[in-house]
Amino acid sequence: MSAKMFHLGWFLGNGFGVQAWNSEWAGTGATDWMMPDQYIDLARSIERGGFDFLMMEDSVQIPNAYQGSSEYYLRTASAAPKQDPAVLAGILSQFTEKLGIVATLTTTFYHPFTVARLMSTLDHVSKGRIGWNIVTGSSTYAAKNFGFDMPEHDLRYEMADEFVELACKLWDSWEPDAVLADVEKGVYADHTKVHTLDFEGKFYSSRGPLNTTPSPQGRPVFLQAGGSDQGKDLAAKYVEAIIANPPGVEKMKAYREDIRRRAVEHGRDPDTIKVMYLVSPVFGETDDEAEEKLARRERAKNSNIEGLLAGRSHLASIDLSQFPLDEPLPDDLISNGHRSSFANFKGDGTQTLRERILAHSATDAVHLCGTPATVAAQMDEIMQEVGGDGFLIVGTPMHRRYVAEVTDGLSPALRRRGLIRSNFSHQLLRDNLLAF
Amino acid sequence: MTTVEAAKFHLAWFKSFTPHDWRSTWSGSEERDWMTGDSHVDFLRALERARFDFLMLEDSLMVSDTYGGTAEASLAQGGYAPKGDPALLASMLLSETKRIGVIATMSSTFVPPWLLARTSATIDHLSGGRFGWNCVTSSENRAAQNFGMDALPPHDERYERAAEYVEVVKQLWDSWEPDAFVMDQESGTYVDHTKVNPIHFEGRWHRSRGPLNLMRPPQGHPVICQAGGSPAGKAFAAGNADVLLSLPKGLPDMKRYRDDIRELAEKAGRDPDDIKVLFIISPILADTDDEARELQAMMNSDVEAKIKAQMVNWSATMEIDFSRFDLDRPLPDDAVTNGHQSTLATFRKFANGRTLREAFTAYRTEAIEVVGSPATAADTLQEAMEFVGGDGFLVMGPTNRRYVHEITDGLVPELQRRGLVRTEYAGTHLRDHLREF
Repeated sequence: MSAKMFHLGWFLGNGFGVQAWNSEWAGTGATDWMMPDQYIDLARSIERGGFDFLMMEDSVQIPNAYQGSSEYYLRTASAAPKQDPAVLAGILSQFTEKLGIVATLTTTFYHPFTVARLMSTLDHVSKGRIGWNIVTGSSTYAAKNFGFDMPEHDLRYEMADEFVELACKLWDSWEPDAVLADVEKGVYADHTKVHTLDFEGKFYSSRGPLNTTPSPQGRPVFLQAGGSDQGKDLAAKYVEAIIANPPGVEKMKAYREDIRRRAVEHGRDPDTIKVMYLVSPVFGETDDEAEEKLARRERAKNSNIEGLLAGRSHLASIDLSQFPLDEPLPDDLISNGHRSSFANFKGDGTQTLRERILAHSATDAVHLCGTPATVAAQMDEIMQEVGGDGFLIVGTPMHRRYVAEVTDGLSPALRRRGLIRSNFSHQLLRDNLLAF
Repeated sequence: MTTVEAAKFHLAWFKSFTPHDWRSTWSGSEERDWMTGDSHVDFLRALERARFDFLMLEDSLMVSDTYGGTAEASLAQGGYAPKGDPALLASMLLSETKRIGVIATMSSTFVPPWLLARTSATIDHLSGGRFGWNCVTSSENRAAQNFGMDALPPHDERYERAAEYVEVVKQLWDSWEPDAFVMDQESGTYVDHTKVNPIHFEGRWHRSRGPLNLMRPPQGHPVICQAGGSPAGKAFAAGNADVLLSLPKGLPDMKRYRDDIRELAEKAGRDPDDIKVLFIISPILADTDDEARELQAMMNSDVEAKIKAQMVNWSATMEIDFSRFDLDRPLPDDAVTNGHQSTLATFRKFANGRTLREAFTAYRTEAIEVVGSPATAADTLQEAMEFVGGDGFLVMGPTNRRYVHEITDGLVPELQRRGLVRTEYAGTHLRDHLREF
């Protein structure tokens, strides 16, 4: 027995930033990362490989949490430099036909009108294939680039809720039949069907209407990564695909059930929200080779304590270099960034910082490792247990050899099992997501 | 290691317009989609990014039924047939790229010289001077029969014909003087007819009046590539070719071959640096040397399949039915071919009295073995070039996207860091690339 068909997305975990650059197989990554070429190759490859969408992460600062300095991050090109994913989304839309393209835009740093207009424009130029990954931002340093202190965690979610509400009103400010484009009568748009909003919220206000026409999807597909209660609620209310990372099959299953229950509470059909799990499968010509590769990679990562600390410092906006490695972290230490994940990382105070950082170096929800056929079987089994709805491949380091392993190794193996699409049944990203 | 600046060498890729890699772990949907040419576009873009000189497309013109007297084995295996027209693929690939060259195989035995001169001039124009012709005389009677002949001309006669053929083709390319194309709006003169001349070629085998009905190609003469190993083939190549695919295996034979060709070229009145000798390699790359060795052992583990694949291919190209031979005895002395003579001779020398099973098990198409991490593979190539003197390598491997990227994004950056291959194209024509160093 096989699982039902599921969805694949590619999560570009370092956004439009430096991908593989100083490792084997990195090609010209060190000098060409800011050009669209490797992303065009990636997008075309995953479109061929039956992926629903490519999703681009983003962040808007040069981190300097670790040791209060940007040195580690800039020396290793970690999380910076990074370019605007919305620009890349526009380019990629012209080199693909059916693939969905999802850009990350931070509610805290935009005005809803800007996001609404940008997304409508992208949805038009892509013929209805755009998604918006809704994030509220987490970094103190990013907020300072915009001239303010990062609002507190729960407040950010409250603001995000109103942000999305206003953006939706802007997308709906043109009635579907407002555009006549009647050449004979000389009437382009019927002004009686284009409405002002005069929205006055707690955080945002906007007169409206939007100054673009309704886009093919009406509004972009909404995606979000929610771990906290507020995050999950926001997701259950608006979102059409959710990025999830709970560790292990049982928690994956529980997470999905929780999200589906919340969706029902918001009056939605739970099948209209797809839960997609972050994974980074490791491939080899044989299972042994893949396992060796994974072990080698884990050893390299765990011997780089500095890298682990710098990464965690950045996520939490806390300089972890100030704490002794062989003692537990202070009880009262909390993060205003990724709050739930930091609390989880810190643990109950019985383990030292070194123990915690090593225990938390694994990023994967599940173990996917082996030949493409083996990994396909593992994914099949997980989806049978969890119930759906798919995986987000986050391949790091991202280079063309790895992309080929996924699209020309894994995808055919999944297709042989009938688990992923062999073509796109629809033009719009939303329709493809809802196709099964 | 000294810090003397290393001499640069050339890189090219070799494949056929076939579902070359259709059932490996990483072959994607190639088994169904190869004929659209899309994967080749991806390959060529990757090779261009890695600043390769060119892609060479092999060709043959038949469905072979030599092995076991039936086409069963050759069609089941794929590789020789089905196979699309390489000149048409070349045209498509060149339009999707800007700098890299493409060389297509066309047979001097089956295509009238005028037609070949025109097709290659057209593609050279379409690509802004990036086309090359791999001149082959063909080697199979089955192909000859598709063109209404009973059999191919004998081996050495084919080379005599080919030499004359190349002469006609060159004269046709030259039949338009470089300044014939005046495009003078004022006088209303498009072409100056005094500079477009009939050639009135009357040879032993070929005749053509000319001129060509297309102006001189951007390169003057598209690049000529050849793969001669026999004395007749070598002499022909030394006189005509810009680039040579060479068969000798092992560093001493490689060096001897290249020295020979350069000497013959000089005797033919050419600058030996104008002819580049490239050696076939099939690097096996991995993250570590151990892993690459394991991969190699695995690829060679199915000995029976490997032997059969080789025999089916050679049955096609040599038109000797290898299925008749006892694998536990040496190649019979009376096994001769009118086809790839030097390949057979090289194999016989390589086998050195060993049984067919032993010889086939050990046999490699590539000139030298290249196995390891990109750094180790780069060492091997660097040492080989230091010993042989030049001029580069032709990669022939399981052409899937993952393998291509191992070469272009793993091996090439390592070679570039050592200054052994180019990091940017200096010229615009394929011949510029070949003569750049």
